[in-house]
Amino acid sequence: MPPRSLWSGAISFGLVNVPVKMVTAVSQKDVRFNQLHAKDLSRINQKRVCALDGEEVPFDEIVKGYEVRPGAYVVIDPAELDGLDPEATHTIDILEFVDLDQIDPVYFDKPYYLVPERRAEKPYALLAQSLEKTNKVGIAKFVMRTKEYLAAVRSTKGTLVLSTLLYGDEVVPTETLETPGMETELSDRELKMAEALIESLTEKFDPDRHEDTYREKVMEMIAAKDEGQEIVAQPEAEAPARVEDLMAALEASVQAARDKRAGDKKK
Amino acid sequence: MPASTKVEVDVGGRRLTLSNLDKVLYPAAHFTKSEVIDYYARIAPVMVPHLAGRPITFIRYPNGVDGKFFFEKNAPSHKPDWLPTVALNGGDRDDSSIINYPRLEEPAALVWAANLAAIEIHPGLARAEHIRQPDHVVFDLDPGEGTDVIECCQVALWLRDALDALGLQGLAKTSGSKGLQLYVPLHTPCDFEQTRAFSLAMAQLIEKWHPDLIVTTQEKVKRRDKVLIDWMQNASFKTTVGVYSLRAREYPTVSTPVTWDEVENAVTATDLRFQAADVLARVEEHGDLWEPMLSLEQPLPGA
Repeated sequence: MPPRSLWSGAISFGLVNVPVKMVTAVSQKDVRFNQLHAKDLSRINQKRVCALDGEEVPFDEIVKGYEVRPGAYVVIDPAELDGLDPEATHTIDILEFVDLDQIDPVYFDKPYYLVPERRAEKPYALLAQSLEKTNKVGIAKFVMRTKEYLAAVRSTKGTLVLSTLLYGDEVVPTETLETPGMETELSDRELKMAEALIESLTEKFDPDRHEDTYREKVMEMIAAKDEGQEIVAQPEAEAPARVEDLMAALEASVQAARDKRAGDKKK
Repeated sequence: MPASTKVEVDVGGRRLTLSNLDKVLYPAAHFTKSEVIDYYARIAPVMVPHLAGRPITFIRYPNGVDGKFFFEKNAPSHKPDWLPTVALNGGDRDDSSIINYPRLEEPAALVWAANLAAIEIHPGLARAEHIRQPDHVVFDLDPGEGTDVIECCQVALWLRDALDALGLQGLAKTSGSKGLQLYVPLHTPCDFEQTRAFSLAMAQLIEKWHPDLIVTTQEKVKRRDKVLIDWMQNASFKTTVGVYSLRAREYPTVSTPVTWDEVENAVTATDLRFQAADVLARVEEHGDLWEPMLSLEQPLPGA
């Protein structure tokens, strides 16, 4: 089953218009756990409660607030935000084309596939093939839901891939880090040896060769538990030395607390 | 005794391990966990009969009254084997899960709870043997901003007179916090729907007579300078603080039974503010003022 379309519109540059749908390019494979009540394995429900009185708060009494100063909030009506939303234009406006290797991978955020709408197959194929031949990437802007995104549109094996890009100010500049940078002086011999080592370990990148071994281990453990191999270690309770009468046990401690209070009062 | 040692004690033939006895649970009063346990051990003879058979909710303050607290309804898995439970469904909303509430049937059980820093003990309104039949009605009088327990006393007296007209005897206790609570023992066949309907009707009647001092709905804005008659506590899944329970306030104040004379004559809020030691002295002097709650049979009008 093809993934559900998240957005539809058209890629637009110059006089060219390619109607496309956007679908997700990522299927998350995280192991997901549910919170359960240890006693009866029932699911845990979350309630929204007032931090002040502990009472549950119905949805219609919840508003959005922005903390302007510690403890001081400005309440924002969702309608006020609607007025600021960028206009949903339904176009992926390509602003310019750049060479793929000019984009530092750190800017790539989330990938989506673009698939052609009906009867747009030919202009889609034309764009995809020409991008691939020239190894170029279209830098574009588009609006999804209420946010305007910067994106890179490129082609891989005849399919257009749109990756949302981080804005320049969203990436922490490396100058703020204490890394040695490119200034550290190294001898030719050291560099040659390191380069030779890198060469000898260089392979073609194959994403299928690397697997999430942690996920596999967790799933194996879950499967084993499901088959009834559960082993739960019970901690040994430490046994106190001797048994006392309650009041005798409390006496010294209660007296100490009373003495402390009496002492405080005299001060 | 060093602070961190555990001590094993014998309470009425039950072995219990107490821990962190010197931990201060009420910092402003320097009132320690050993004093909380000591209070509950001493009050147990009069308190346990009012808890026996009921589903108990704990409010636990493992790091003292200024720290994080949590409601505990299900009996913890490490509870002693001899401690009974009562199963009850979640009750509120569409939650159909079963809760195994602990039951506190003997002094050792109360000491065990105190050792868990279960400072507040909130029993249900029905006993396990007839869990759908509340054996009393509760009116929780909660003072809004600008009022205190003295206004609650006025409202309680109006309520008492209205109940009196119906041939019903009510008893008053402090909440141990800011308010006052009026209980009507029943011990006669009825269900929660009937007690709720009755308490709502009574609350609205008094509100109609004295709208300037009384509200019967929870809306915060309407509660300024008024006393809320909280009738909604009359539900299977609701709990009101138990008689003789400590409250997690600044000082170790207790939900204390008071006489109608005391309610009539109270002038300032401190007249009706009792701490652990005061309450033990009052029990010495008056015995258990809450005793009629155990057995007084009064039919609910219309039930």
